[in-house]
Amino acid sequence: MSYAAAVAEGIWAAGATRVGYVPSVTVAPIIGALVATDGGADGISPRVTPLSREEEAMGVLGAVALTGGLGAVVMQDNGFGNALTALTTFPLAYHLPLLVFANTRGSLGEYNSMIHAISQPVPAILRAVGVPVIELDRRSGAEDWRDTVREAGVLAVMTYRPVVVLGSFWNTDGKVA
Amino acid sequence: MRRIDALDALARLTDRHPVVVTCAATSRELAAVKDSDNHLYLLDAMGLVGSVATGLALSLAPAAPKVVGIEGDGSLLMNPNVLATGGYLAPANLLLVLLDNGVYGSTGALPTYSAKIDLERLAAAAGWTTRTADTVAGMTAAFAELLAVPGPGFLYARIEPGNAQGVAKLLIDPVSITGRFTRWLRETYPAAEVAA
Repeated sequence: MSYAAAVAEGIWAAGATRVGYVPSVTVAPIIGALVATDGGADGISPRVTPLSREEEAMGVLGAVALTGGLGAVVMQDNGFGNALTALTTFPLAYHLPLLVFANTRGSLGEYNSMIHAISQPVPAILRAVGVPVIELDRRSGAEDWRDTVREAGVLAVMTYRPVVVLGSFWNTDGKVA
Repeated sequence: MRRIDALDALARLTDRHPVVVTCAATSRELAAVKDSDNHLYLLDAMGLVGSVATGLALSLAPAAPKVVGIEGDGSLLMNPNVLATGGYLAPANLLLVLLDNGVYGSTGALPTYSAKIDLERLAAAAGWTTRTADTVAGMTAAFAELLAVPGPGFLYARIEPGNAQGVAKLLIDPVSITGRFTRWLRETYPAAEVAA
């Protein structure tokens, strides 16, 4: 099982009923796996759809919990700058479970000279606003990533709030950037 | 048409619909004319009405009464992506009512872009079925027409600038809004009507 497939499997195993994504080259294989397992193709399936920006994702997927489902967002960590107001004033403030998986940038394996400026402080920023953050990297295997993503979704439902999983793909079978 | 008159009419038109309403004066005035459990007041998240309404519409069965978003021009312009996203995902049961007064009504009446940018045409270009109105009667008729349209509907309503006087601030815990709104959804629509 690839790391990307593990993340996708973990999202479904968490009970996600709808997934929205903002593309990155790193998460593209995750989207491919999600779409394939949901009977779709070319980045779209009945329960998996693209979104144009991260704050939208917090609104669209956060609203899923109002109907008793669980929304999930797949994105890149530099998008938390865009998403922060929506994340805090909607799903966090309204106590709505939401599972977010984001690949990390700006550290090992990075080529871009500026993306670290937003990506490196993301865990601290999220923790400062009260969003639980779970970090994954090369030190655990794909099965652990799957189980962690699944349990993060369970945690979101149990605690009525968004939970973020950050995954560094450096030295895994995935692509950093 | 004053905003509070438009909201008074919308409160009556939407009593069986999930309603997502934008923050500040619009939420306050809606709550003042009728505070109801089917109202999901977004107390701060400007620009998110279309996103939340789209997510709700996608998660409810297409046959359920349309999710109605009530948005302002300033708020829509903070996140105009919602037009493209709603048009692209095209849930059958989505209706966005835009109350356009041309200003940021809750923040000193500073101008929005709407004097120069045609927001109805933006919505139409993104795939929404649109109607326009500048009277309560016209808005009521347009609302009924858009309820019959499959796919996302966009009701552009021109209103006067200015806020109703003597309306209390909406000092309600958002968690209690979630509780009463989700309870209303569960009780009003059986599980079969929830797509998720």
